[in-house]
Amino acid sequence: MSSISLQARNVTKSFTSGPIHNTVLHNLTLDMRAGELTLISGPSGCGKSTLLAILSGLQRPDAGQVLALGQDLAELNTHALERFRLQHTGFVFQGFNLFPALNALEQVELPLSYLGLAPGEARRRAVASLEEVGLGPRMGLRPSELSGGEKQRVAIARALAKEPDLLFADEPTSALDAANGQIIIDILHRIARTHGTTVLCVSHDPRLVGHADRVLAMEDGRILSDRVPSPTSTPTSGLEEPSA
Amino acid sequence: MVALARKTLIYEWRRFLPAILAVGFAGLLQLLQAALVLGIFGSASVYITGSSADLWAGYPGTQSVNLGRSIDAGVEMRLRMDPAVTAVEPFHWVDADWRGPSDTGGVSVFVSGINARPDGMLFAHALSPALRARLNEPDAVIVDRADLDSLGVGIGDSAVINGHRVRVVGVSNGLRALGGVNVVASLATAAELDTDPSNASRMTYFVAKLRDPAEADDVAARLRGNRAFGSYDVWTAESFARRSQLYWMFDTGAGAGVLFLAGVVFLVGAVITSQTLVAAVIGSVREYATLNALGVGVGALRKVVMEQAFWVGALGLLGSTVLGGIALALARSRSVPVALGPWTTVACLALCMGLAIVSGLAAMRSLRRADPATLLR
Repeated sequence: MSSISLQARNVTKSFTSGPIHNTVLHNLTLDMRAGELTLISGPSGCGKSTLLAILSGLQRPDAGQVLALGQDLAELNTHALERFRLQHTGFVFQGFNLFPALNALEQVELPLSYLGLAPGEARRRAVASLEEVGLGPRMGLRPSELSGGEKQRVAIARALAKEPDLLFADEPTSALDAANGQIIIDILHRIARTHGTTVLCVSHDPRLVGHADRVLAMEDGRILSDRVPSPTSTPTSGLEEPSA
Repeated sequence: MVALARKTLIYEWRRFLPAILAVGFAGLLQLLQAALVLGIFGSASVYITGSSADLWAGYPGTQSVNLGRSIDAGVEMRLRMDPAVTAVEPFHWVDADWRGPSDTGGVSVFVSGINARPDGMLFAHALSPALRARLNEPDAVIVDRADLDSLGVGIGDSAVINGHRVRVVGVSNGLRALGGVNVVASLATAAELDTDPSNASRMTYFVAKLRDPAEADDVAARLRGNRAFGSYDVWTAESFARRSQLYWMFDTGAGAGVLFLAGVVFLVGAVITSQTLVAAVIGSVREYATLNALGVGVGALRKVVMEQAFWVGALGLLGSTVLGGIALALARSRSVPVALGPWTTVACLALCMGLAIVSGLAAMRSLRRADPATLLR
């Protein structure tokens, strides 16, 4: 079993909107391992996106601790957190969020240039990761010339080219048809396996369950189940394992 | 480095076009306004700038060249006594009333009585030696080509000034004045036209040429304040010209008007430009947020916005320079008084670049919305 790369310890988060106080995450504790694709599934509003935001350092918890690659994220200020994200994390969002003016290769190169890589090295990495997601022949095209699935693959290549230790994906397939969704989840899975990356994917898409190494079912801010799916399993929630 | 700012500007040029136009037109307005004001009020000192004299001696406290009072003719001797002075020439100014052959009513004219010799200093830049020589004919006058209509004459026609008959022997360019029409005559003709008996044996100005024009300040300081020749003062041509222009600019309130208009143009330009840039930032806010999630700092994103603002400014200024050049050339060809020095041009363009930069700073604030946590829905 590979090492634990991402940990949440008693994480609590709540939001206040006017007089309504809403606790989104209830004292969650969770470990994730490198080289695994972990899927957090659950109905919308269950707190899974908030959990992703906290684990990835985009939001801070009200209480509890997040250890990413052994680093307590609470100890980092905004600038250091940006630096940490630059060096260690990749993101894939539901919307592809690609700059309309840039072609696929430039989309992937853009964050690399901020890593301080030499232009030649940035270009080499960008080409390699576009080829890895199967877009080698289409890397000169702009978003308007790409299909939805291809755009999401560019977004994955953009995250992947940084060679992150942690890769976070939020509903990466929900804007895509079945075939493209299948391709995306396969790519994410392969990244976890071949690069040893910790891939955390949040989705309510039941088609993805069979492709994950581990599935966490969430509801109302709590983890209901934590299981290793069989290839044929369905996303019905169960309580095979209590939450950690 | 991927040139995100420039590539976005080129690809989404329609989005940025209003900002570029706003900067461009703001620049054009500033340039034309400055050129017109400087051109119009520059003509207040056409007697000085059109002449080759280095020093002007006139009545103390004279605020503008057209407001001169006569000084004692002995001042000419005082100027000639100074070893730095190589030539002295009188300038006889007469405020007069013109009646042309056609029905133009009375026209207020300024008669400039000058030395008509070929080496004369007054209007040396505005009159060719041949034209100047024609002033030696009795009762000959020269006017600006653009004033022929308002004077109701053509070349060779006769008219009456202060009850004395004169004849237009030629026209020139660059004689247009503020507040009246310039009429150039010889000293003898001007003396005939001057009906004020108190001006006998007195002269409005004496102008002097120096061996070394660079010494003008020192010589002027040395020559002024000698009471033995009555009240008079000596100024360098440059300072007297500037004083005349400033007098007109502020006496007429035009200076304040120009500054007010410049402020309005700046404000309107900045509002349009900043709104356009804000819209461009908001249009890409999810992409910026994604970059921030990937660890690209807010500082680097701000740089992208500022770079866009800079390019918007640069393109706008390019447009205003080209259009401004065309407009000025057109104005010159139509005898519209325009004048634009390099420093004024730079100041106008810098003001508009400042407009673009201020707009960029305003647009930078909307990057606050690029919070990556909002991408997680």
